Amino acid sequence: MPEEEGESLIHVAIKAEELFQLGPLHVTNSMVGALLASVVLLAGAWWFARRNQLVPTRVQSLLELPIELMAGIISASTSRWRSYAALILGFFLIILVANWIGLLPGVGTIGIAHVDETGHEAVIPLVRPASADLNFTLGLAIVSFVMFVFWGIRANGAGGYLKELLGQPLYMAPLMFPINLISEFSRLISLSMRLFGNVFAGEVLLATMIALVPILVPAAFLGLELIFGFVQALVFALLAMTYISTAIAEHHSAGHDSDHDTDHGAAHAAGADHPPAAEAASA
Amino acid sequence: MRQDEEPARDGNDAQPAESPNWALGLDLGVRLGLSVVIGLGLGILVDNWLHTSPLFTLIGMVLGIGAAMVTIWRVARDAMRK
Repeated sequence: MPEEEGESLIHVAIKAEELFQLGPLHVTNSMVGALLASVVLLAGAWWFARRNQLVPTRVQSLLELPIELMAGIISASTSRWRSYAALILGFFLIILVANWIGLLPGVGTIGIAHVDETGHEAVIPLVRPASADLNFTLGLAIVSFVMFVFWGIRANGAGGYLKELLGQPLYMAPLMFPINLISEFSRLISLSMRLFGNVFAGEVLLATMIALVPILVPAAFLGLELIFGFVQALVFALLAMTYISTAIAEHHSAGHDSDHDTDHGAAHAAGADHPPAAEAASA
Repeated sequence: MRQDEEPARDGNDAQPAESPNWALGLDLGVRLGLSVVIGLGLGILVDNWLHTSPLFTLIGMVLGIGAAMVTIWRVARDAMRK
């Protein structure tokens, strides 16, 4: 009997499990996790908008901490950081909250009991961390990929972007085009698989530890998962930012700096267009 | 948080400008392997479809290895531009 109990505790499905059907929509436990993360973020934003003070309270300082960290990194990336700062911050916060929701008591343990195909009794958790579902991470990676391509086209023009994909000289295009295409797609898969793999591995690790040593030991792994959740959110946001800033930097190095200077002359003069870190360094 | 307040607050923090490099390094290892896997996978798919095995598997593998090399070159180029 203890073996059977152990089996049911270690049960972590690789794909999100369906809870119920809402018309054509199959509602899964990871959707509930994503919805919870969104509600937490929206509630935080609402609270922040109402209680925002010039001299921050302790709670406000705590909420500002991750935002300030990311704002510092983003503002030091390129001169056009304001255009994509909201997207990168959004990535970071939604992944961070989605990862940390998985560590709350009851998430992954409270659910609907059912008998699976093998005849074993298992529990379908009501909530699953959204980033432990490949659909969620792939969705985020696709948004990031589209934005990266959008910035590439915006910076270099459609022709310039195509030229980059075809490679130079042009007679090498039949070889370079598939190579560049594979290289581009590896970004998409790398972004989504890394986040999914790390968070899902964390879920499996926690479930295994709880099954093996239910007292004290899982607490250490929960602490580790807290750090991993933060690091993975940071890595995803940083990579998305690096891809976008690289697309913009290619434009700058291609000799269009003069265009940029005229476009952003006013902001430049006001000091708002400079990366603050660069300003500090020059000072 | 108002946007126009950010530069002043972060102005003294020069450290973050270097942070994305470690993320790129972390990404590079995964992308090298993935490029070969994608090329090989596509080659196997085309071979299964056209019954030409192992022609496209080999072509896919070579393209995947090529994509991995191009990825290294691009990352190095972008890092040197900074």
